[in-house]
Amino acid sequence: MSDIFPKWTNRLPRNIIICALLVGTAVTGGVTYYFTPKYTRVGYEPIQPVAFPHSVHVTQLGLDCRYCHNGVEKSWYSNIPATSVCMNCHNQVLKDDPRLAVVRDSAASGRPIEWVQIHKLPDYVYFNHSVHVNRGVSCVECHGPINHMDEVYHAKPLSMTFCLNCHRAPAMHLRPLDKITDLDWVVTDNPRDWASQQLALGQGIINDWHVQSLQNCSTCHR
Amino acid sequence: MKTIPPPCPEPEIGPKYWRSLEQVSDTPQFRQWLEREFPAGASELTDPVSRRNFVKIMSASFLLAGLGATGCRRPVEKIYPFAKMPENYTYGVAQYFATAMPSRRGATPLVVKSNEGRPTKIEGNPDHPDSNGGTDAMTQAAVLGLYDPDRAMRATRNGFGESRAAALDYVQAVGKEAGDGTGLAFLLEQSSSPSRERLQQSLMGKFPAARWYVYEPVDLDVGRQAASLAYNSPVEPYYKLDEARVIVSLDCDFIGSEQNAHGHIRRFAKGRALETKDDSMSRLYAVESLFTLTGLNADHRLRVPPSMIVPVMARLALNVLKSSDVDQKLRDLAGPAEAHDAWIVPCAADLKANAGKSLVLAGYRLPPAAHLLVIAMNEALGAVNQTVEFHQAQVSKDGTLAELASALNAGEVRALVILGGNPAYNAPADLNWPQTQAKAKTVIRLGYYLDETSWDPAVHADTHLDLPMAHFLESWGDARTADGTIVAIQPLIDPLFGGITELEVLAVLGGIAPSSAYEIARETFRSVGGKGEDDWGKFLHDGFLADSAAPLANAQFDGAALARAVDELRAPAAAPSKEHLDLVFYRDSKVDDGRYNNNGWLQELPDPITKLTWDNAVLLSPATAKALGVFTERNSQNQKFFDFTVDVTLNGRTVRGQVWVQPGMADNTVGVALGYGREKTGRVGAGAGFNAYKLRTSDNMYYASGAALVDSHDKSYELAVTQSHWSMEGRPVIREANLDQYRKNPAFAQQMRPEQPSVVEPLYPNPLDTTKANALNQWGMSIDLNRCVGCSACMVACQSENNVPIVGKEMVGKSREMHWIRIDRYYAGPVDDPQAVAQPMLCQHCEAAPCESVCPVNATSHDDEGLNVMTYNRCVGTRYCSNNCPYKVRRFNFFDYNRRPLNHLYQSPLVMETHGEWELLRWLKNPDKGNLPEDQWQLSRLVKNPDVSVRMRGVMEKCSLCLQRIEQARIAAKVKARDSGHIRLTEADGTVPKTACQQACPAEAIIFGDISDPESRVSKAKGQERTYKVLEFLLTKPRCTYLARVRNPNPLMPDYKENPMPYTERDYINAEGAPSANGSEGGSGAQDTGKGTL
Repeated sequence: MSDIFPKWTNRLPRNIIICALLVGTAVTGGVTYYFTPKYTRVGYEPIQPVAFPHSVHVTQLGLDCRYCHNGVEKSWYSNIPATSVCMNCHNQVLKDDPRLAVVRDSAASGRPIEWVQIHKLPDYVYFNHSVHVNRGVSCVECHGPINHMDEVYHAKPLSMTFCLNCHRAPAMHLRPLDKITDLDWVVTDNPRDWASQQLALGQGIINDWHVQSLQNCSTCHR
Repeated sequence: MKTIPPPCPEPEIGPKYWRSLEQVSDTPQFRQWLEREFPAGASELTDPVSRRNFVKIMSASFLLAGLGATGCRRPVEKIYPFAKMPENYTYGVAQYFATAMPSRRGATPLVVKSNEGRPTKIEGNPDHPDSNGGTDAMTQAAVLGLYDPDRAMRATRNGFGESRAAALDYVQAVGKEAGDGTGLAFLLEQSSSPSRERLQQSLMGKFPAARWYVYEPVDLDVGRQAASLAYNSPVEPYYKLDEARVIVSLDCDFIGSEQNAHGHIRRFAKGRALETKDDSMSRLYAVESLFTLTGLNADHRLRVPPSMIVPVMARLALNVLKSSDVDQKLRDLAGPAEAHDAWIVPCAADLKANAGKSLVLAGYRLPPAAHLLVIAMNEALGAVNQTVEFHQAQVSKDGTLAELASALNAGEVRALVILGGNPAYNAPADLNWPQTQAKAKTVIRLGYYLDETSWDPAVHADTHLDLPMAHFLESWGDARTADGTIVAIQPLIDPLFGGITELEVLAVLGGIAPSSAYEIARETFRSVGGKGEDDWGKFLHDGFLADSAAPLANAQFDGAALARAVDELRAPAAAPSKEHLDLVFYRDSKVDDGRYNNNGWLQELPDPITKLTWDNAVLLSPATAKALGVFTERNSQNQKFFDFTVDVTLNGRTVRGQVWVQPGMADNTVGVALGYGREKTGRVGAGAGFNAYKLRTSDNMYYASGAALVDSHDKSYELAVTQSHWSMEGRPVIREANLDQYRKNPAFAQQMRPEQPSVVEPLYPNPLDTTKANALNQWGMSIDLNRCVGCSACMVACQSENNVPIVGKEMVGKSREMHWIRIDRYYAGPVDDPQAVAQPMLCQHCEAAPCESVCPVNATSHDDEGLNVMTYNRCVGTRYCSNNCPYKVRRFNFFDYNRRPLNHLYQSPLVMETHGEWELLRWLKNPDKGNLPEDQWQLSRLVKNPDVSVRMRGVMEKCSLCLQRIEQARIAAKVKARDSGHIRLTEADGTVPKTACQQACPAEAIIFGDISDPESRVSKAKGQERTYKVLEFLLTKPRCTYLARVRNPNPLMPDYKENPMPYTERDYINAEGAPSANGSEGGSGAQDTGKGTL
């Protein structure tokens, strides 16, 4: 019999098991990382028809988010501003700048600017902006430091896990209503105290405002 | 195949209810059919492509999809913001506009929801003085008609397309050539529009010689014509059914098919409502030949053939009217009805005993003379100004269609202007309308569809111009509701296909400037509602002009008119027999006279009584069907029930249709619904039913006698009927009592139940018990069976709100219809003359839901507020939940109904082509696109409610209690609360939403609300003693409860029978002996159906 099976075959079952475990771990790890929104969505930064720098408008000039995204407090959707909103300023400021040619064309012709959508949820998810921004959730929680972005990119995964993390424990993500659009705001500049102070603030808000951390399927899926 | 349920532990209690004749006869085949969850073949792929092939093909498709690599990249999607921001508009926030839907000589006041500029949902206007926000099914479905891809989409002259401007130029030229109007004729539909009346007046001034004709195939206006004769002045009756204690309907289906039915339902239900045992309720007597909704709601029902209606009426009049000179004539008329004296005399006595609070009604099928007799009875009963009011109305001196036909035949009409209507399809057959119409030199026709009246290559006038009509949701205009209040019609969307309104055509033709419908309606309003811009703004905002209801006429009844009327009435020559059948033409409850024939929601809505979908049928009573040898049979070949296809002949004209055996119909009577069998219609209406207009002649508009019926031996046609679908397996789900029994024992419904099972403690605690402590609201619903009349408006409202697809006739035949709420119609009593009752059935939102425990993927679960919710994206389609649901309210998407044409559901993408392109290739190019033809795809998406997911193939769905409305209300409360904690929805704040079915219900039978709030309407309703839970013994703890039905029969009537009312199982056994061994099937009632409720 020893002629048929050489000695190394004794180790074969063990090697196969080890290999299978390694491959299995690699595949599981790979899929978990590469096939989930953390990888597939985060960092998505398409080229837009107009190179609109949020950093200049918000951080340098101090525009409020709601000057342009004026539907965010009323609608499920935070609207992309109409060309006429851009032209409110840009018929005075940089009125001949070649970078704004597309905007001027749109204003003149009435044809919309074709922005590329970055943040997109599946059709079966009903996310409502107004209920979040009116109840202590800042833009920065889902969109990241958009006030410092030169070109907007997808900063957070916006996966169901991402939503649930906050819905299960909202305390770390809540802030006073007057700080909602102040994306750089932190409860304290001292990183050592931040966590405890934010938790205390969040708990206070949850209690005072009766913040419901709804986790029913029906909260988002209808 | 599902597990056959063990015999139901609940014994047969009280009356036995049955839903179909097959159930009564209880054949083994029927039992087998019923015991399947879906009928044979429903859950299988019976396509020529076998299952095995299908799997092969699908694997190939997936492979191709992978190669196409469309799945690997995120598709780039664009956002197109406005270039210029519109005012008062926020993207994503729905807007609501008040408008109205015109209907013959009335209108329904509406509030229409608009999402991003497209109307998506029609609701009644609750602010209107004569409305509670209820509507009917046709109104609810009108929004689908707006997006009908088969609409007339452009003007055509002699079949060739023409621009809108050129078409209107031509209309103007015809007006200019007309001179004083000699040779110019107008054929209009009835209308209540003050603007149209004004234009008509001004055109009459411009064209004094022009002639005006009005035609309605089903003329519901006969009551007004008769009243105007009776009072010698133009008056219109307005019925106050809530004030009446005794109502007698003489072939008047005021709940189903008369003008302003939803208004009648509202008032009738109000008069029937009970809150405590001391409340009184009205009593309804119905004399009819068909089984109608009014008959379903009647306490006493007399079925007589149509030729006997007038004799019964005369007999009733003899008993009601004071003796006068018409007595002898009435006696002659009433002769044949003497046999019914036992019924008529106590009925008349009841009317007289309640003088001043009683009301007699006559239906639209009866001639004006009969209506006059009824007015005389109401006068004698003191009903006038108590239960019926006569309001001032407009005079209408327009000619009839027959007069127009003779003018055309005499060559007196050069130019014929047809505004609306479809006479080529629905004119009386003897007028030979298509040929008659072609005798005019010029025909200008405004129509919503290119249909039978449109240009026909075979027979047409020299010049035939077809103009596309604008939908009322695209039009400016005005109308009057039943009480005379002026309502605004304002557009929610620009005409999708350049539609033109009737007002515009009249104005252009008459050279009236400005000719825009807006300016015309605005100008009319100046004269009736005020000149100021504010008045107009308020009119459009409210949707109606306050205090514009028609004033009381206060006219004197003319006794001479009665004598003339009685002279006109004729007694029947002979009673009908099976060789000489009486025939009744009736307005269909869904497609009306054929105008909604291409509306899928209405076609698929089961008729409230017959439960027929997608068809009309030749209705026969069981006895007549048996006598003629055409009683429903079972085909042993394909295990299908089949109904006989018969030829109905009347005066030499024959149509072929399917027999539907309708319990409760008068014997020797044939009932045929109008509005089906269209030759030129859209994709939906094509092939539905047969055309009963072919039998109808000018002298037999509604009733005919001497019809013959022969079996055609054609066995190819099958009806799709839902009456046996979702069977409740004979379990007693209906509880009802007579009024005196209710007064003696108000809690009868709670006692009518079996002894509860001994195991009450569940094995595991219900997670809802803990989670509901955190929730702010607990939702529940109460449905009052005493108010519900079974009109089915809720079904279409739900379909519209929740994006419920239509599935087509073939799928309905396989029990795959998708309605989230259904109306179950049960019969009780003998097959020939049963009583009936309607019960809305929807997801009961059980607290211990059987569906949830069997879902392997947790796709159905409870939320904290007690709703049983479906998560579509989790569902994998095992259908276990539907198998385990005792209420049978879960619906499965067997196909992608939203993306596939209904006649191509089974077709594989490997062989299918759309617009000449191979389907698979098309799919690879754009996987988001459906397989629907382009026009249908573009239009059908517009009607969808964006707040509800559109479900795809393989997903289970069911009633969510309008979760989207609850969520919107909750979000609105939170947005308003901001940093305060006041986020609970309360009725006191008015923040509790209404479900779509509740909103649409004209009877206010459905109440939804917060059951944790003791002050809420639903809590109070559930606190009533009539409350019961369906299938309570299963311990599912349903959140939807019912209020038991109470009938109010008259003990003196011959058909009075005290309901056998054993309250508990023990009582029942003592009274009736042990329940039958086979308690699971209502069919066991077969041996004793004779002793049912009657």
